[in-house]
Amino acid sequence: MNELGSGTVRDRRFLCRGAALLVVFLGLPCGCKTSDDAAAAASQLSSTATTLANYYAALDTLVSETDQLYQIQAAVNPIAPYDSQTQTLVKDTQTEIEQREKLASALTTMAQTFAKFNGSTAASDASTAAGNLNSAVTALKLPASMSPSNVNLMKDAVSLIVKAIQEHKEREAAAAIDKFTGALDTWFTSEEPLYNSIGETYANLTLSLIQPLIEKGQVDASSFLNAVFSPYGLTPQITDTALRNAAQSVLAAQTSKKSAALAAAQVTATTNMEKSLSEMASRIHTVATDKPMTLRSAPATLADVQNWISLVPQIAPAAAAHTR
Amino acid sequence: MQGPLQELETTYFALQSQINTLAAACQSQDQRNALSTQYVQARQNYWACINKAFHDDDPAVATLTNQIDTANQQIQSATQEMGDIAKVINDITNVVNLGTQLAAKVITL
Repeated sequence: MNELGSGTVRDRRFLCRGAALLVVFLGLPCGCKTSDDAAAAASQLSSTATTLANYYAALDTLVSETDQLYQIQAAVNPIAPYDSQTQTLVKDTQTEIEQREKLASALTTMAQTFAKFNGSTAASDASTAAGNLNSAVTALKLPASMSPSNVNLMKDAVSLIVKAIQEHKEREAAAAIDKFTGALDTWFTSEEPLYNSIGETYANLTLSLIQPLIEKGQVDASSFLNAVFSPYGLTPQITDTALRNAAQSVLAAQTSKKSAALAAAQVTATTNMEKSLSEMASRIHTVATDKPMTLRSAPATLADVQNWISLVPQIAPAAAAHTR
Repeated sequence: MQGPLQELETTYFALQSQINTLAAACQSQDQRNALSTQYVQARQNYWACINKAFHDDDPAVATLTNQIDTANQQIQSATQEMGDIAKVINDITNVVNLGTQLAAKVITL
């Protein structure tokens, strides 16, 4: 039974067709203005969830690259063999990150379905999308560095969303979406140290591999002189031993700074992703509790996360191509 | 004191970043083998914990975490001196063994 059973409200809903399904769930009691707010919230949730999925894809690339780096390390340094147990653990971690990516993708699809709601099939579309989200949350069978209660909270919320959509209980659905986005933020926060540790492992590993290789002269140090030669269209070639050694020392020092910058950039991206999720949860809560939500653009910190995501394929092109 | 993940991370990162220096300081194949074993175990402990949820409030985990914190500080000062590689490997073995116990506790929680 529809809990918003009055004819007046139904008429309003009819007039507001074309707005998000969240409009129906979150906005009906207050009319079209609130419906606009709900439509904006659905669209912003979709952008945030897309960025979250891309964040996990970038993290997946770093784990894949780490796996390759361990293989390289084992080849160049017999003291660091890549044992099968660690290989399995790294692969398991990658699977877990991929499951989080799927969860974020399922949330994106659900938010997009809400945003496109304008026809008679919308309820079944939304129900299907919510069902997919339910499957994605259920698939998170190996919670790493997180409180299982956060996952359970999300599972409960998704169950409520599915049930409420099927039974056309809009208010309950709104409350459940509110609960889900809140739990998602808490869950992401609880896993932040894990994500940052993965990024730091990657940066640390590349550094420990590159420095001895540079010291052994296994790099063409002539690129160090590019700034001098390139204005004249010339290609540098270092033949002087003393100059090559000096250039190698400079390159080795640069790698330390770049490694620290790699790790710091990932930490910043994680922080900004959390801020975006927190902001989104707050906006959804505002709309779900019938308050005006005047913001019309996605959380500002999303752009910073997207910037880091766009850098990862340049940092790790081989793994990025492999995981794509 | 840091949390369990951070302690195991510290041990693993310290070995990862020092592995070439430590290997160069080894004077026998036995020492190189011991170092290799400890490095692999430390890395395995780290990844095992990445894969599992932590319960920082568990008293046994907290105690072990504290012990590893102390041991990590010891190996950091030992690797700076590097005069006695046998002692350094002994300190590393000590901290990695504690890390293995911590990883086992975290995994079974």
